[in-house]
Amino acid sequence: MTAGDSKSRKKKPAETVKEQPSEGKSRASVPLLLGAWFLPGFGHLILGKRKRAMVFAAVVFCAFITGVLLQGEIGTPKPESPFSWLAAFACLGNGVLAIGRLVWLNGLGGLLGGFPFGLQGGGSASAAGFAYGNTFLYTAGLMNLLAVLDVSDIARGEKD
Amino acid sequence: MDHLLLMIWHALLVSVFFAFLWRSTAAGRRNLFLKTFLIMVVGAAALGWLMFPFP
Repeated sequence: MTAGDSKSRKKKPAETVKEQPSEGKSRASVPLLLGAWFLPGFGHLILGKRKRAMVFAAVVFCAFITGVLLQGEIGTPKPESPFSWLAAFACLGNGVLAIGRLVWLNGLGGLLGGFPFGLQGGGSASAAGFAYGNTFLYTAGLMNLLAVLDVSDIARGEKD
Repeated sequence: MDHLLLMIWHALLVSVFFAFLWRSTAAGRRNLFLKTFLIMVVGAAALGWLMFPFP
């Protein structure tokens, strides 16, 4: 027996404990998570959390509308700016709101044809509220993504 | 465009969201909302005052 063998034997009990399946650790269904992302509040509504669903939907909607009214830009990927992918990710977190806004600005053909680098995100960089608007749009999307994670936790039984 | 009002509106939305995300009782939500909302608004005002002497 080598020293390595004895080390691996010592580790076994800890590994056995890790591998034990625990109650409520199953995966949340993908359609549920996709629905929760696409329509803010929908996932919680399906899981019977009506109050939370309404609050999350209202908060994400209000933040998104505020961002659009302040001339914020829906983040779209730009080849010269790698960080624009992060902005696009945050904005896409808004689900149907972001996609609807992109369709509004680009048209359905423009959205499909211009993906990913030819998309117009709207807004006006010279507007006084541009940076604030962007912040509201990013915040709304990230809050919705957190709500999706919350749906996952509830569906797996890890949270009430 | 009122910057202070926008900041308060942003703080309000974020505080409500996290109060409902992280707490499940009414009292817990109220406490967390007040805490986060006040930290954001008062903290931002305080930081603004601290930065005032700097160009």
